[in-house]
Amino acid sequence: MANLITIEQKILKKNADLALENRQEIERRGLLAVGLLSAPGSGKTSLLERTLAALRGRLRAAVIEGDVQTDRDAQRIAALDVPVVQIVTNGTCHLEARMVQEALPRLPARDLELLFIENVGNLVCPSSYELGEHLRVVVLSVTEGEDKPLKYPAIFRNADVVVFNKIDLLPHLDYDLAAARRFALQVNPGLLLFELSCRTGAGLDPWTRFLEERVAARHTAG
Amino acid sequence: MAELIEMVAQRTPPGALPIEVRVAVGLLTGVSPDAMAFYFEAMAPERLGAQARLRARLVPLRGRCDACARAFELDAQAWLCPSCGEPTLRFQNGTELDLEALVVDDGEPHHDRAEDPQEERGPGS
Repeated sequence: MANLITIEQKILKKNADLALENRQEIERRGLLAVGLLSAPGSGKTSLLERTLAALRGRLRAAVIEGDVQTDRDAQRIAALDVPVVQIVTNGTCHLEARMVQEALPRLPARDLELLFIENVGNLVCPSSYELGEHLRVVVLSVTEGEDKPLKYPAIFRNADVVVFNKIDLLPHLDYDLAAARRFALQVNPGLLLFELSCRTGAGLDPWTRFLEERVAARHTAG
Repeated sequence: MAELIEMVAQRTPPGALPIEVRVAVGLLTGVSPDAMAFYFEAMAPERLGAQARLRARLVPLRGRCDACARAFELDAQAWLCPSCGEPTLRFQNGTELDLEALVVDDGEPHHDRAEDPQEERGPGS
């Protein structure tokens, strides 16, 4: 005989619980955690390289690198003499809180202030999985369509910041940056927007100053 | 999907078989009910049996516009107010991804008591 059992349980509750534990551990260590999300090839790792180089001597940073396969990105970060922990997801298309929880103890115990968590290149699945980060940053390169925010609204809705990357290419493209900005703010009016080029370094200063301010605000808060 | 299948397995009483898995999907999750059903059919039989079916329903998006103060209910994602066109919607829901209910076959013979309160029943049945 068929029976109905009412349940009302969040499917991703376990992930949300682990993300909360991650947040507590991140805060216990006095870190500001910044998640980086984008489509493959938008320049998450290039942004990290540029940002870490600019922040050297200003902030003590570390990186958790998520990749489907290989530790190539982690090698790029390690070359900058920045502590990096690699997560290889073995085919999973997003990071989960459980993976970050296993990575956190592998960070050096020494005082750190800023932790970047680079997600797998994907604009769909990572939006559903909280990791425990304070800020979610979507990197969007101007070689992609300006309507990406409308096509992938969930990830922009759940983000705090959008970084438009590769702006040095704008003179060679038909990309409408004003429209892209407008679409991003339509989806989420609370987004902070930055425009920069990891190749030339243009626009990096406001972005790194923003990170410094947020780290300082964390120190003040707690 | 693995989380959902494990959750269903744990909430199915011993000796019973899950027939229908009812899931509520918020419109802001970006999750497609069709894609969910596809993956469920591929992954569920091993743990739950081939009889298990997924029924995912999209939950209407409710909220209010900050600009014109009108309340709205939408059946699709939208970012502009349906009344005044401003991008100032404040959503009350949309991120839900919930296992709402399970219909299970307990293996007992059928009797007359109502087993599914959501089922349409005529008078006197």
